[in-house]
Amino acid sequence: MPSSKWLIPISCIPEFIVTGYAIAIYGKLKNELRLFCWFIFLSCAVELATVLLWWFHKNNLPLHHVYVPAGFFILLWFFKSVLRNYIDPRIFNTVLILFLVFSIINSFFIQGLFTFDSNALTVESVLVIILSFFTLNIAQNEAVKEVADGKFKSINWINAGLLIYFSSNLLLFYFGDVINRSFPIYLSQYSWIVHGFFSLVMYSSFFIGLWKRPTT
Amino acid sequence: METANDINFLSALLPLTGVVFLIVLGVLLLNQQFKKKLLTQKLKQEKLNAQHQFELLQASIAVQEEERKRIARDLHDELGAALSMARMHLMHIEQETALQPAQITHMQQVRGMLENALASTRRISHELMPPLLESFGLAQTLEAMATDLNKLGKLQLEVITGNYSHRLPLAAELGLYRVCMELVNNTIRHAQATHIRLHLQQQAGSVILHYNDNGKGFDETNLKKGIGQHSIETRIHALNGTVTIKNSEQGGIAVTAEIPLMG
Repeated sequence: MPSSKWLIPISCIPEFIVTGYAIAIYGKLKNELRLFCWFIFLSCAVELATVLLWWFHKNNLPLHHVYVPAGFFILLWFFKSVLRNYIDPRIFNTVLILFLVFSIINSFFIQGLFTFDSNALTVESVLVIILSFFTLNIAQNEAVKEVADGKFKSINWINAGLLIYFSSNLLLFYFGDVINRSFPIYLSQYSWIVHGFFSLVMYSSFFIGLWKRPTT
Repeated sequence: METANDINFLSALLPLTGVVFLIVLGVLLLNQQFKKKLLTQKLKQEKLNAQHQFELLQASIAVQEEERKRIARDLHDELGAALSMARMHLMHIEQETALQPAQITHMQQVRGMLENALASTRRISHELMPPLLESFGLAQTLEAMATDLNKLGKLQLEVITGNYSHRLPLAAELGLYRVCMELVNNTIRHAQATHIRLHLQQQAGSVILHYNDNGKGFDETNLKKGIGQHSIETRIHALNGTVTIKNSEQGGIAVTAEIPLMG
């Protein structure tokens, strides 16, 4: 029996728990983590709206076309704030503008609003993997460690979660088409179980990241 | 069917390689940007540190000069005045009182000692802060120093001021004066020279000081710098200038210091 019946709903629970925790500690957080909390709030709001639309038998895919660029905007802002001393901010601005333009073109002219926006999601995954991998890398640099004052302790957890989730996302969406066409249907269902599992891993990392927030 | 699946899977894998390549390339580019920024920050920090050191050096020299000025003034105005008063009273006693010949001899000895102390006080005070420097500038102060030194007859100090007519800020003139004093003292104490040539020259945007003596020079192989040499370099660097100290081909020491004219 596929475990999707229980694993997919369970995968939403950590998201709500993390959102509740983020709301509770928002006032104590530093600027970078506050920005990241907005990504959690957005994800939670979109999750709730998706469930409501599904409940009323409405197509909830257009919501995803808004969530991907909006989520990326917040994540990029978060990375820009974390890496402001190490990377030219114009790089982030350029990437953001290019991605937003691509996302709009994809939603209206390539995939359409009522189709799953796998193209934008794939590009978002590639960009987030690059940024999180790079951030994890520079957090190990001695010169950065000296001045970071423990800032990266919590950011490393968040980055690890993003890296794991978006890497799995990339593979799932990338191979989704091949799996659907070439393998039995239950394998396709398993791919969503895997997605749910990695989502759980990501939110667990977020929770630890917020838990280990700098206190001074 | 099996082969078709394999082909499908392979055709999906190939672009994935491209995606992985893109990710690696992205991380590498960001890393390069990071290293560039880190290097820029490091250079900026080093520049700031150097600037800070320079300002500290200038401040320390300024404090030193201020303190010398205060001591010179105190010596001249207080100790000098007290000694003059003492000499005056002594002369008054000599004139007004009938003294025994032995007492007169003692009084004359005391007066002689007082006059020596007064002269020493004046000399030390002038060495600490030459009064000519502030009023007439570096060239005339050096010429006066040469006149005093030449009177002793042990060596000849030749000062050539040529086209030098510029008045530098007092800190710069004091710095150059101290350097000249240090060089002359070194020559007198160590070089066994009979002639010193001091040439002050003004060029576009800078003042150049050439100093030569006909002494025995110094051991260039000894890398350890003496306090005198260190002091000369510190003073010239504090004036944003450069200095080279070496043995000349004709024998003796050859020093060239150049400081920029500000404003």
